Amino acid sequence: MSLAPADRSRGTQPPLLLPRRGARLSIFEIVLLLICVVLALVGIPQNLQDIAVLAFLWAGLALAWNIAGGYAGLISFGHAAFFGVGAYTSTILFVGFGITPWLGIWCSGLLSAALGTVLALICARLRGPFFILSTLAAAEVVRIAALNWATLTGGPEGLSIPPVAGLANMVFASKGTYVALMLAFLVAVYAITKWLEGSRYGYYLNSVRDDADAASAAGVNPLLVRTVAMALSAGLTGIGGSLFAQYFLYLDPTFIISPEVSFQFALLAAVGGLGTAVGPVLGSFLITPMSELLRSYLGNQAAGLHLVIYSALLIIVMLYFPGGIAGALARLSRRGGGS
Amino acid sequence: MTALLTLDMVGRKFGSLWAVRDVSFSVERGELLGLIGPNGAGKSTLYNLIAGALSPTKGEISFDGQSVTGWKSHQVARVGIARTFQIPKPYRQLSVVENVMLTAFQHEHSVRRAHALAMDTLTDVGLGECADVPVSTLTVGLLKRLEVARALAMRPKLVLFDEIMAGLTPTEVGTMTRFVSSLPSRGITVIWVEHVLYAIMKTATRIMVLNRGELIANGEPASVARDPAVVKAYLGEEMSLA
Amino acid sequence: MATLGQLVLSGIFIGGIYALMSMGLTLIFGVLRVVNFAHGEFLMLAMYGAWAMTRLLGLNPYLAAIAIGPAMFLFGAIVHQLIVRRALDKPHLVVVFATMGLSIFMQNVALMVMTADLWDVPPIFSRSVEVGPFYFKAELLVGFAVTIACTAILQWLIRTTYLGKAIRATVQDGEAAMLMGIPVPRIFLLTFAGGSALVGLAACIMMPLFSVFPTVGLNFVLIAFVIVVLGGMGSIEGALLGGICIGVVQSLSSYYVAPAYGQMFYFILFLLVMVFRPNGLLGQKGSATIGIND
Repeated sequence: MSLAPADRSRGTQPPLLLPRRGARLSIFEIVLLLICVVLALVGIPQNLQDIAVLAFLWAGLALAWNIAGGYAGLISFGHAAFFGVGAYTSTILFVGFGITPWLGIWCSGLLSAALGTVLALICARLRGPFFILSTLAAAEVVRIAALNWATLTGGPEGLSIPPVAGLANMVFASKGTYVALMLAFLVAVYAITKWLEGSRYGYYLNSVRDDADAASAAGVNPLLVRTVAMALSAGLTGIGGSLFAQYFLYLDPTFIISPEVSFQFALLAAVGGLGTAVGPVLGSFLITPMSELLRSYLGNQAAGLHLVIYSALLIIVMLYFPGGIAGALARLSRRGGGS
Repeated sequence: MTALLTLDMVGRKFGSLWAVRDVSFSVERGELLGLIGPNGAGKSTLYNLIAGALSPTKGEISFDGQSVTGWKSHQVARVGIARTFQIPKPYRQLSVVENVMLTAFQHEHSVRRAHALAMDTLTDVGLGECADVPVSTLTVGLLKRLEVARALAMRPKLVLFDEIMAGLTPTEVGTMTRFVSSLPSRGITVIWVEHVLYAIMKTATRIMVLNRGELIANGEPASVARDPAVVKAYLGEEMSLA
Repeated sequence: MATLGQLVLSGIFIGGIYALMSMGLTLIFGVLRVVNFAHGEFLMLAMYGAWAMTRLLGLNPYLAAIAIGPAMFLFGAIVHQLIVRRALDKPHLVVVFATMGLSIFMQNVALMVMTADLWDVPPIFSRSVEVGPFYFKAELLVGFAVTIACTAILQWLIRTTYLGKAIRATVQDGEAAMLMGIPVPRIFLLTFAGGSALVGLAACIMMPLFSVFPTVGLNFVLIAFVIVVLGGMGSIEGALLGGICIGVVQSLSSYYVAPAYGQMFYFILFLLVMVFRPNGLLGQKGSATIGIND
């Protein structure tokens, strides 16, 4: 599905219609970006702002997961641990020590990245299902620790951020500002992903995913590549966690560091298209609004209905369209004689 | 001038079985060395030892003037040893040219130049037209050629070929044989494991024979072919190898 | 001292029951090289079934096993044919996501149909059993006895019958097994269905001891994974040994350490095993490092 990068030595190149591997943006991506920016600037109706905030945030988080899961093949069902560590770090720094979240998110990122490094090193030799199970186990350890370390995390009662609006607090009265904030996060992670996939490091990630022994014989150090991929993925997830905390203003370890959250990252990336940049974005833009709308219209009656639908969707997508939405798009482009 | 590759009493044990035992030899720059032996002789193990996929239980390996004993495969690759895999191991979700770019990156850091190097190498081995094709559509024969391309894109000093002729038609065998014999003049030393014996006997400057983990012959193709120990190792029948 | 003995022994007994729950998983793991992430939900489904038969038909959960076992066999066969079989020749992430999806699907259907309430069955025996200074719930002892019986029967089946040998061959080398004329696809189906039936049996044993609710599977599946890893992929006796270890660890840590932290212990144990002995305590060498598609 990935196509080789176009030759850049010539001056003019035909514009790309659909997304391709590498830093060059396609018309599809530019249009999508413009729509999001316009929505953020011009303003969305109040009742839809929630959805926009979440769709952008989850897209960024799915992209972050995808760096490890899609490009490097490190399928983790424990990323909620990084999400939670990020959320708690900036919140504790803010609520406990008065450090502005604008600085706090970087601490979150670093701490989550460190945790990701540790996890990658521990699980270095593990393959396939054993790796996945280890990520699950590690996340559970983090969750139980967070739940019980009440002096640090507030335990089962959770932590709240005072709803005092202010730029320095990264708390905003207007949801529209949050929409812009989350979009900025999404664009940043997207840019990182595009740069990565177009550089030789992106290829290193893919080689380690597809055949670590062959990669090794080609001079690539699988342990180093896996660890860096995990660290980057974890760090970005941690930053997303901080932003989440700043929006919801309340952290509850049972919800935040849960297998459901970990699954969500993977689901969005998988349905959208693993190992592509645009995939997780499309996955989030498709599923998050559906999820929120179902939740608000059906309320408690459908406790679980939306998950019944997504899981069924995931099974079908996985069995019949393993490339996700992005894969289906790429196939269409090839058939239409496109680039 | 020191030899390019030297093995000194190298051995590898699995449990209580010595897959390779007391193997010593050296390879000079510009040689085309054939490595033959019956199945189970330890050729793959020997390759894995040289390429760093396995570490020797005993013995020393040195390459280009430095000891590489116990080095891991990616470290060995970086000093200039390339290898192919007997059962091809392509990167299945990447295209043909991208497969070759991975090794090209050892030589060129920029994606554009690595792509160009990969394309040149593919054309060299005759896979130029398949460049953008997904690897999953290739036949075994083409996959073997891809293995060769991947190894060469590294611009290695030493390349270890592992049964690259399997699945080729007689004409293709001829082309590939000519191609391999041109490598030493391009500065690439070759060790070649092969079962298609007539190809290797004609082109190799020297032949080594491995049997049950031990080196039983090491010399010119003609004399090795007549060596009774060698003939006996291959099924114990009289075979004309020359 | 008596307390320690009580804890260790009840740990052994509950561990045996955990082992029974994990035997299906380890067989499926060993033969198909697939982790069924919905394993916990299979258990949940069977537990609801056992509950329904008990509460609605007045049956004893042990008797319900006669119906639940075959029902789960059928269910496993259907899941295999519809989902697992189609995922086998694709990259392993497909089967991971597909079974994960199935897990979430089943959890939420249960949530919608049965609500989040905890359901349980009345105790079968009126009093505990006294063995020397120790007290045990009779249901616990019965459960352990069933596990031992099951282990023995499975071991006998695997070692003497053709099916058992075919299974062992497939565990060791699926391709070679196929070349030897073993109908590997059928072995896959039978193993998956059989493993599910074992889960059904385990559910009937567990129903008198635990409540059932939609996410009950999640607790138990992680225990099952730890046991499978400890015992080695594909090993029945390994699952028993692993189960007993976990039971004892859980029993001791729940008492001596705060119960909440107790849960953390077996995850840490799992991670330690993954780092230092990925082959399990007696499993095949390299099983954790081989993974799938190698």
